[in-house]
Amino acid sequence: RVSSDGKPPKFQPPPKPVIIDRKTKKEESRFLSPEFIPPRGRKDPLKYYIERKDMIQRRKVFNIPEFYVGSILAVTTANPLASDKSSRFVGICIQRGGTGLGATFVLRNVIEDQGVEICYELYSPRIQAIEVLKLEKRLDENLMYLRDALPEYSTVDVNMKPVPRMDHEEIPVNKVQVRMKPKPWSKRWERPKYNIKGIKFELPEHKMQAAQKWSQPWLEFDMLREYDTSKIEEKIRKELSEELEK
Amino acid sequence: MRLSVAAAISHGRVYRRFGLSPRSRLDLLRNLVTALVRHERIETPWARADEMRGYAERLIDYAKRGDKDERAMRMADFWLTEKDLIHKLFKVLAPRFQPHAGSYTRLLQIPNRDGLDRAKMAVIELKGNPLPPLVRPRRDSDRTLLNQLLKGYRQDAQRARG
Repeated sequence: RVSSDGKPPKFQPPPKPVIIDRKTKKEESRFLSPEFIPPRGRKDPLKYYIERKDMIQRRKVFNIPEFYVGSILAVTTANPLASDKSSRFVGICIQRGGTGLGATFVLRNVIEDQGVEICYELYSPRIQAIEVLKLEKRLDENLMYLRDALPEYSTVDVNMKPVPRMDHEEIPVNKVQVRMKPKPWSKRWERPKYNIKGIKFELPEHKMQAAQKWSQPWLEFDMLREYDTSKIEEKIRKELSEELEK
Repeated sequence: MRLSVAAAISHGRVYRRFGLSPRSRLDLLRNLVTALVRHERIETPWARADEMRGYAERLIDYAKRGDKDERAMRMADFWLTEKDLIHKLFKVLAPRFQPHAGSYTRLLQIPNRDGLDRAKMAVIELKGNPLPPLVRPRRDSDRTLLNQLLKGYRQDAQRARG
């Protein structure tokens, strides 16, 4: 501007830098561990409330990271018989079960041509560290079919380095289609009851058609079987965030 | 010797068994839900009405989502066998129950069926239906002591005002 009253022009400060806080975006799509969600039933919610308080206590002392079925984890547990009193196992998570303090996860690996599965309890005091080496999801919630798949799909390198991951990235979905050993399998995975999307079925067409005989198309419309957890999850999320901030 | 003990125990099972199979059970309940949406008040055995109640209320909850919703339309298409009732569900029943949060039906027991089976019967109706009411609300009789005292108090108050 032209000088006003002969004085030097008023100092215009530079425009403020715009900070895009990516952390706020993550708050909206927060991960709630599935063992916090109580199952449907007639039990008193007080029981689940007390259990959640104990779970939060444990989580304050020991960090349980976010992971899904299909991620690769390394777990160190206390072992009185080992030389340095702890043992480490690396594997792919095939199942997450249980609710509350008894929540478990099963890790699978193939060591020296022998398939090994270990079921750990998330809140057990024997567990010294849980490390997520590779965080990813798969097409199914339950990867028990890896028992009947070729061993290459269950082998995980024991000395694997953790795969670096940015905080704001979405969880990658591994759409691998697993090839199976010849039948018989431990379960008839081609049947629609298991609803498996991650297997590349090389069965003849008539066998796949025969398996569809066991499909129950009316189950999708049975409204009373649906369990809507959105409101329960909201409450639990609020509770968790309050407790963990204390 | 009883080979399967598990088949005889039903701890915690909430769904009753009707008809010939689970598919048949859903078909039976579907017919009842269709009849309820058409006539808004039906008379059936109590067990069927009780089972059907949950499905009818959930169907109305789905209808409240609006007919643009793909899943709501598929549910209505499955549950209502007479397709003209889909229009009634979305355009008449959903707006009628919009202010309520739940409990859109009323279940009342009636005397047992006249036939040989003497089945426990019930009437299930949608609230706010245009038919005459089933239960007339009865006022307490004027002759009871409390009502007489209240009547006297009201008369004294009126006399004092006037």
